Amino acid sequence: MTETREARRSQTDLPAGYQMEHDPDDLWGDARVIVNIGPTHPAMHGALRMVAKLNGETIEKSYCEFGFTHRAKEKLGENRTYHNFAVYTDRLNYCSALINNVTYALSVEKLMGIEVPERCVWIRMICCELARIMDHLICIGINAVDLGAFSFFLYGFHQREEAYTLVEKLCGARLTTSFTRIGGLMGDAPDGFERELKAWVEKTRQVIDEMDDLLTNNKIWKKRTVGVGVFNKEDCLQYSFSGPNARAAGIDLDLRRDQPCLFYKDVEFDVPVAQNGDVFDRYMIRLSEIRQSLNILSQCADKMKKGPIWSEDKRVRIPEKTVVHNTMEGMIHHFKFFMTGFDVPEGEAYTQFEAANGELGFYIVSKGAPRAHRMRIRGPSVWHFQAISPMVEGEKIADMVAALGSINIIAGELDR
Amino acid sequence: MDIRHPIPGNGGDWITRFGDIWKSQVAELQKVFGSAIEEVRMPVVYPTDVPIVYVQKAKILEVLQFVKASEGFSYGFLADITATDETADPRFEVVYQLFSQTQLCRFRLKVRVPEGEDVPSVVTVWKGANWAEREIFDMFGIKFSGHPDLRRILMDERWVGHPLRKDYPLKGYQIFTDSQAVDPERLK
Amino acid sequence: MGKDGSVGFVTTRLDDLINWGRKNSIWPLPFGTSCCGIEMMASLASDYDMSRFGAEVIRFSPRQSDLLIVAGIINLKMAPVLKTVYDQMSDPKYVMSFGACASSGGIFNVYSVLQGIDTMIPVDVYIPGCPPAPEGVIHGLMRLQELIAQGQTQSQKRLAQLKQV
Repeated sequence: MTETREARRSQTDLPAGYQMEHDPDDLWGDARVIVNIGPTHPAMHGALRMVAKLNGETIEKSYCEFGFTHRAKEKLGENRTYHNFAVYTDRLNYCSALINNVTYALSVEKLMGIEVPERCVWIRMICCELARIMDHLICIGINAVDLGAFSFFLYGFHQREEAYTLVEKLCGARLTTSFTRIGGLMGDAPDGFERELKAWVEKTRQVIDEMDDLLTNNKIWKKRTVGVGVFNKEDCLQYSFSGPNARAAGIDLDLRRDQPCLFYKDVEFDVPVAQNGDVFDRYMIRLSEIRQSLNILSQCADKMKKGPIWSEDKRVRIPEKTVVHNTMEGMIHHFKFFMTGFDVPEGEAYTQFEAANGELGFYIVSKGAPRAHRMRIRGPSVWHFQAISPMVEGEKIADMVAALGSINIIAGELDR
Repeated sequence: MDIRHPIPGNGGDWITRFGDIWKSQVAELQKVFGSAIEEVRMPVVYPTDVPIVYVQKAKILEVLQFVKASEGFSYGFLADITATDETADPRFEVVYQLFSQTQLCRFRLKVRVPEGEDVPSVVTVWKGANWAEREIFDMFGIKFSGHPDLRRILMDERWVGHPLRKDYPLKGYQIFTDSQAVDPERLK
Repeated sequence: MGKDGSVGFVTTRLDDLINWGRKNSIWPLPFGTSCCGIEMMASLASDYDMSRFGAEVIRFSPRQSDLLIVAGIINLKMAPVLKTVYDQMSDPKYVMSFGACASSGGIFNVYSVLQGIDTMIPVDVYIPGCPPAPEGVIHGLMRLQELIAQGQTQSQKRLAQLKQV
């Protein structure tokens, strides 16, 4: 597809006189091997499957399969109330569950026309950026592990554990948080959260610098990643790439900057863009995005003020426990709220957010009932995983591992 | 309060930002394609966030090519393709979510599909539409004519029925004792 | 010869010794499919460090490992794969059902999800949680070590029965 790839392919061709006599498409000829990779292969993150036809070590053609963790979340969206469904959004991109929570809350709030108070928005932004950092740390860490750099992963994972501690302080859970509610949050941030957040940001800055020193200029790492898994700008547009993977190929687009929601207008950050679209660029983009997210986090911690976290809208406000336990009306309200749910007015909306992987979208069609008529989840991983086969065509099979790790496929949002 | 009272911080400024662009685009579409544009639903009038344009099924490929390439539209980014089961006649709607990376606005095209009929595939316009269309085939049973490799994607290939149809039960298990085999035909 | 007809002192002590060795050198096969896989990684990584329990040698080949950690959802498309992997492991083999999805289907009682892996393969330890915290994983691993030391895992019991026959 690209010039570099053509050049690579011609290098792998055998010199004249050594070429095979038989039909190159003859599948069971002596030089072609079919390899089934996955669904439980360590390089296939989560549960993906790839079947590749190899010529020596070069992938001639391949196809991918997924659906090994299909959990019918879209069907469940039509069978659960809007409030209940928040739990299922955690399990989409489980590396950054908080972003899914926030996006889902935004999408239902958009349909209902609910505005949430300022502190709630700041906390949601902190959640998103924390989750983005955690997601990127996992992605580059695992990508490095796949290519043999194990200690890099341990550095990142330690810092991720520290971030888990912050998330636990917010909501009590580590991975699957279910932190947001429609029209508010599960609870307020504890006292001194801003201070701890800033301390974590400072520490993480140092760790990121350390990780940068450890890997970026490493000769082996560069040889394994530079010019590998190239996907250029035109291909990215054809395959609807979004997020860091698109920016690595030179598409200067970030929904946080270009279609701002929450308070992204009021904070300053840069959008890193690279040009080559190879594994190394994707790694560098993620590394710089972590730094930008750290900047956003410290700005959020500065700008956050005390205040309410719940919208005053009666339809979605979960009644206070003191009211529920002490008054009859409160208890009936609570019972009705959780057993039958609330009606969402008729309408349809597609709400998108710049998730850690790319554009996460919820397309909700409501017919005025407490359950959605259609709950479509647009996970960026589907579109990225689709590009793996053309991306690795003509490359070595070991480079497939690098390419797959770098585009960060999360099985949860791939299969839904 | 509903989506017709959009809130700031969540796409609330879209109508002021893109309202004129959308109006001119819809007018342009109606001018070029005439009766192929079945219905137009604009935000504020209808509870939706972006304009919905219903296109005649046979013309969808042309319309998508037009909005992708022509000046004033430039919807080069296919955000999503999905379908809905309306349990009415015609039964299905195929939904195309578009995004313009230059004008930063969004747009939605829809096609009404009666049960058992084909929709033209848009793989020739966006290669990435391949799997999204396969998923719709898998989940709703809508066939796409001209699709290079229309087969199930999320469910096993031996699965019977289409899970996201409204008449499919939530707990309709089907058990297979062996996994899907490698298919050398697909590597030719 | 014991009262119940089991073999004598030396053999029993030898079994204990073997089981002691087995429990301290578990080679896990991580069958991580979804969210639980991340927590499994966390319990293997720097802060929780499962290698303290002799279980750090991760092997992705079923023929080299003796503990199958099923971390995450197993759906009907994946179930035959899991069964194949389990069958390929050599005895004695232990199975850890990691998290709610693997144990019972969890919150996903839907058309595509297997309602608990114990409908298909024998399970020794269930770890609750969605996903379980690494502390829970370590607790589960220690419980499994106890079971192995006592010879009470499903696989060991089956082997003992075979011996008696």
